[in-house]
Amino acid sequence: MATGAHLHAMGCMQGQMKNHSNGSQNLAGSSQLRMVNESFYTDLRLFRQDNLHFKIWKLSMACMSGSQFLVADPIESSSIRSSCDNHRRNNETALILLRHGESMWNEKNLFTGCVDVPLTQKGANEAIEAGKRICSIPVDMIYTSVLIRAQMTAMLAMAQHRSKKVPIIVHNESEQAQTWSNVYSAKTKKESIPVITAWQLNERMYGELQGLNKQETADQFGKEKVHEWRRSFNIPPPNGESLEMCAQRAVSYFKEQIEPQLSLGKNVMIAAHGNSLRSIIMYLDNLTSQEVINLELSTGIPMLYVFKEGNFIRRGNPTGPSEAGVYAYTKNLALYRQKLDDMPE
Amino acid sequence: MASSVACLHAASSIQAQGFKGSSTGSPNKIGAFPLRMVLKGFSLDVPLPERKGNCPRSLNLHVVRSSSSQSSIADPIELPSNSNSTDSQKKSTEASLILIRHGESLWNEKNLFTGCVDVPLTKKGVEEAIEAGKRIRNIPIDMIYTSSLIRAQMTAMLVMSEHRRRKVPIIIHKETEEAQRWSQIYSEETKMQSIPVITAWQLNERMYGELQGLNKQETAELFGKEKVHEWRRSYDVPPPNGESLEMCAERSVTYFRDQIVPQLLAGKNVMIAAHGNSLRSIIMYLDKLTSQEVIKLELSTGIPMLYILKNGKFIRRGSPIAPSEAGVYAYSRV
Repeated sequence: MATGAHLHAMGCMQGQMKNHSNGSQNLAGSSQLRMVNESFYTDLRLFRQDNLHFKIWKLSMACMSGSQFLVADPIESSSIRSSCDNHRRNNETALILLRHGESMWNEKNLFTGCVDVPLTQKGANEAIEAGKRICSIPVDMIYTSVLIRAQMTAMLAMAQHRSKKVPIIVHNESEQAQTWSNVYSAKTKKESIPVITAWQLNERMYGELQGLNKQETADQFGKEKVHEWRRSFNIPPPNGESLEMCAQRAVSYFKEQIEPQLSLGKNVMIAAHGNSLRSIIMYLDNLTSQEVINLELSTGIPMLYVFKEGNFIRRGNPTGPSEAGVYAYTKNLALYRQKLDDMPE
Repeated sequence: MASSVACLHAASSIQAQGFKGSSTGSPNKIGAFPLRMVLKGFSLDVPLPERKGNCPRSLNLHVVRSSSSQSSIADPIELPSNSNSTDSQKKSTEASLILIRHGESLWNEKNLFTGCVDVPLTKKGVEEAIEAGKRIRNIPIDMIYTSSLIRAQMTAMLVMSEHRRRKVPIIIHKETEEAQRWSQIYSEETKMQSIPVITAWQLNERMYGELQGLNKQETAELFGKEKVHEWRRSYDVPPPNGESLEMCAERSVTYFRDQIVPQLLAGKNVMIAAHGNSLRSIIMYLDKLTSQEVIKLELSTGIPMLYILKNGKFIRRGSPIAPSEAGVYAYSRV
């Protein structure tokens, strides 16, 4: 894990909930800090008590082992629980964000952007491990970018899923593609999870940096310029996208295509890339452009949100089933997992 | 897999055992040894090729393709004379062609007719791809063709993650001008270290029409067992709204001839990761099989099949074995 703000670590800081004022939040927050690794230090400008709207400024950590952070404390306090019980179950859906693991150009330290390079073996293993973490979380629809490393990540992760539903990539590129991929059994369709590929979820397009290594880019453009393109919000590399431009198309797509599905009660997984995902997180968590630049999403570690009554509640990083002592995230997710447990093999 | 139908896998597994330094005399020895392993009806008369595909010696492969033990000879075939005059200049080049059929998909596991429905690999299918990769890690690859279905693409990528050469496969995007622009590479050196991957619907699995998504029981009930059997096993009778094997062959072989053969003639080493029906259509073309022969042909999943194009002829070199199997003539699975 690199040093840098990791959303992964942030996941420890459970139950950042918008629009809920409740004193117990503090307790949850502080107790979890104690769970954290010694080497982890936080530089948190957060926990504004006024509306308990948590924002993470900057997190640095050396290493966070999975067993250390107790991600799944049921954050629902009694007051929240009572108000929720009255609502129908459909109001709550899961949203999983999954950033793909190591690609062959990551390994070679080349700027990748929208060049369609595949995963390394390590990246494939990261996807499989990620799949084990979410194997008990319901998934009704999957969105990926058009790049193979994200698609493979989704497929490898879902191969670990307990539900036995089958992800099927939807083909709309031509009429023939559509008719050729028709499924003629209603029962089979019900047991399918549509996978929608969208270029809007692609990695930020890096223009003339694509394919170059750090040395080459420094030689060609100068170290400071490159640093500026990489770390600024709105300065694009030549013929490329700024993070702002990436965010614009990724978040629009999320709002127009994905959020309606969540509102309809569909549980969604998005398998995509560092920049498209943090753009979406910027939207989910209402981050400023300064905050989003410092945000790093760990590769291969799924990030769970619960969508409830129009609000996005970050629930952190699900841990694997082998890690005992993990509570269910919400009552509904616990019920889903129970259903899987009761399923005949 | 071990059916009574002649498996090309079985035939080819006997071959291409990377026998170090096999320059003289050994053919006989090698030929005799595997014969004991062979399924009834096979005979082999083959020296071993160098793994890197240099100077393959003459190869005669007799393969039984039907359970009725009728042997036919897979002689190196003449390429149909193309109108391209440039082809004659390239005849002396030699190029490898690897065919690989993807492994188990999630619908294979559920026994559902898949066709062109885009379902992914199971864990087992993933492992098959990785194993296949180990078998061909030393065979040069300059270009990759796959279908537009994820199970073939994943197979190709997992195979290449095992490849020794460390060149990076990169999927070419041409669906729109923007897609093309967005995927541009700006370093010559990086481009040289890349293996273009071209996805083509023409290499897709045979489209199974109204059978797609149904299991054997449902199809039998809906259409009748004999009808279904006919669609599956005939050459030219398509299921409703689907393709016959003939139709599948028409579009995949045309694609192969028009797009892939020129690359091979130009000396490029090619790998095709695709499906049972599109690949056996291509093999039908490479080996000049009749329609009767091709319907009895089964290509094993996850086992790469190597051909060499030399002097305008396609020579089947069988299935490369994994490096750990050096010195082992028998193969473990049949």
